[in-house]
Amino acid sequence: MIGTTDLAKEFWEKGRSESCPIYDMHGHMGTWGAIYFPRGNAVQMIGTMDECGVKLLVFSHHHALMSPDIGNRPSIEAVHQYPDRLRAYCVINPNYPDLAAADLANFEQHKDVFVGFKFLPDYHKVAITDPRYRPALDYASQNRLLVLMHTWGGSPYDGAEQVRQLAERYPDVRFLLGHSCHGDWNAAVLLAHDFPNLYLELTAVFDDRGAIEKFAAEAGSERMLFGTDLPWFDPHHAVGVLLSAHLSDEDIHNICHRNAVKLLAPFLKAL
Amino acid sequence: MVYFDCNAFMGRPARREIYPPAPGAADILAEMDYCGVEKALVWHAAQLDASPKAGNDLLIEAIQLHPRLYGCLAALPNQAKEFPPFDDLLESMSRGRIVAIRAFPLDHHFFLNRVAMGWWIEPMVSHRIPLFLSVEHGCDWAIVYSLLEEFPDLVCVICDHGCWGEDRRFRPLIERYPHVYIDTSNYLLDGGIEAFVSDYGPDRMLYGSGFPRCHFGGMMLAIQHARISEIARTAIAGGNLERIIQEVRA
Repeated sequence: MIGTTDLAKEFWEKGRSESCPIYDMHGHMGTWGAIYFPRGNAVQMIGTMDECGVKLLVFSHHHALMSPDIGNRPSIEAVHQYPDRLRAYCVINPNYPDLAAADLANFEQHKDVFVGFKFLPDYHKVAITDPRYRPALDYASQNRLLVLMHTWGGSPYDGAEQVRQLAERYPDVRFLLGHSCHGDWNAAVLLAHDFPNLYLELTAVFDDRGAIEKFAAEAGSERMLFGTDLPWFDPHHAVGVLLSAHLSDEDIHNICHRNAVKLLAPFLKAL
Repeated sequence: MVYFDCNAFMGRPARREIYPPAPGAADILAEMDYCGVEKALVWHAAQLDASPKAGNDLLIEAIQLHPRLYGCLAALPNQAKEFPPFDDLLESMSRGRIVAIRAFPLDHHFFLNRVAMGWWIEPMVSHRIPLFLSVEHGCDWAIVYSLLEEFPDLVCVICDHGCWGEDRRFRPLIERYPHVYIDTSNYLLDGGIEAFVSDYGPDRMLYGSGFPRCHFGGMMLAIQHARISEIARTAIAGGNLERIIQEVRA
């Protein structure tokens, strides 16, 4: 068994916890050429979520991220298939402003699906400070939506400095820093200190021992969100890391569900 | 269920990253106790960062009094007579819980092939001494592929193969070479363990944490709740490593 508490015992023995459900705030779905996924479709992902006690996954389909010709349709279909288990981020690809404008126009029709937007600047090669994101950011600000951004330490597209500029400009947007400016851990903590509308999302942070502990100690677990890139990373691995990291049960509850429930409350009235 | 970690290291790396190092045996054992890891096969940061000889000496001394820790020595070419002969290694192995070898050919500027290292690898094959290669620390996939082409019967454990689900890189090796294994450190791929066991059985995968860079418990919980049989789980958790060690020929 990892750790010493009753919560740790429950996760170790059952692989999930009744008292500590998981809201995974950073997922994907479907195939992607760069990696083999044994469990990449919605049915398989729901199976994983059941085993790990993941109550809800908020995701963006790989095809929405990487094929503007396909767009957000697969995300919408998956949420309609599993409305009690899935919500989606509407992907904005700033390289195609006309398509982005259409996605924005359609957002209203899919309020049962989307909780906000997903930006992938390192891959789309457009900095988050670029004006082409503004229509989506303005819309997110007016509607107090979530914006999950891929962020990576040192990146000219979505590094800490770019995040800072955006957070200053849009105080009403809830920014989720996907990967928490990976590697630039001090800057991530500083951003969390300076901007109450900004959260540290933990996908790919779980495999760097010391980062979770640093965030909990210096930014506070109230600002941390569970995420796995599912179907990339096994949620059991992430939970095993939380149990290994000498966190309090209160911290683990905050990270796994409390913070997410607060953020998602406006969008999940039915749940 | 006994967890026997095949991939942990001790010592202070020359460069600091976010993770707290485990300077000595007591540090690594304390975390093993917290996470329920019974035993670990460890290497020493000085083997990579300083020199294999200096690191080997530190490692042997550090684990001497701790029967839960097993040692992995580092190797170098010997053409310049800068490294002890292979027979000295065998003597070290017979003296105390030294059960495997590592090599860091990229960092240590040598070719891991028959020309440079045949004098070492040939007896490793005949003695069935496992060679651990990390594609994160001092080695890469191209080296692993060419080495195994030259030494198809080498017992080789490929470690730290990254979080991008490297199945396309390691599965061809698993299929071609019967003594190739992979460890689990950073094999975070959802469903990866189950898919691997379904295709190749449970005997070719070893629990490895990557500690202290990674936590002991991440892949433990993944293994503990993987959709595989208890026999398979026991093998991956520690049984396979026990078997590999037992098969080393004196």
